[in-house]
Amino acid sequence: MQVEVLPDTTETHLKLGIIGELDAISAPKLYENLNRFLQQYSSARQITLNCRGLTYLSSAGAGILLMSIDNLTPRGITLELVEVQPEVYNILDLLGLTKLMPVNHV
Amino acid sequence: MYKASLQFGATTENLPIIRHFVQTHLRERIPSSLTLNQITVAVEELCANSILHANGEDPQKELRLELRLQGGTLHIYLYDPAPPYDIHAYPSEPMLLRADTDRPGGFGIYLIRRIIDKINIRRRRGGSSVYHMAKQLSDEVKS
Repeated sequence: MQVEVLPDTTETHLKLGIIGELDAISAPKLYENLNRFLQQYSSARQITLNCRGLTYLSSAGAGILLMSIDNLTPRGITLELVEVQPEVYNILDLLGLTKLMPVNHV
Repeated sequence: MYKASLQFGATTENLPIIRHFVQTHLRERIPSSLTLNQITVAVEELCANSILHANGEDPQKELRLELRLQGGTLHIYLYDPAPPYDIHAYPSEPMLLRADTDRPGGFGIYLIRRIIDKINIRRRRGGSSVYHMAKQLSDEVKS
């Protein structure tokens, strides 16, 4: 799993691209990456996670997304997922996460 | 009946191998990519629970996963050397665990329940266990 800053990122809007699979091994790395990029872009008020390259999501990955929402919301930062693949969207939907955060699927 | 099995050590490093095994053996038999992904997730969640919670991530402990496709039903068996844990004791909603523990949890069992039609756990002689999950698939499935 890799996370990269997308070129159209601005000071207040951090745009990240995620590539690979989010499971029990890689989910903590996503959390570390999000925190690292947030330190780097400390004025960001919105994070968009482009999930076009995310091919698999397990409960561990979903748990990290929920933990991120819980940490970001009190700081006034919103997190949204865009271009989510149908299989990944289906798992987010089964867990009810599509009701907790903006999720836009492919 | 179609049957395939995989033996693996109790380490999360094997989760990608488990996913690959499920997808390789079922891809041609389950035409819906959403259903195939759901089954992959349910199998991985079951295996991850055994690896992490029942076997304490000890790679020396060997588990065996077996897929059996009979008629329109997929049977998934996980033979685990550790004693069984009570899957039915988990709260039915994952969010309930957040209130108790102040962190998200219980998603894996919740997903299994949402995806799988039936799950049974049997304690074997000697203290090991067998988890059996069954899912009824559509008529398009090739067994």
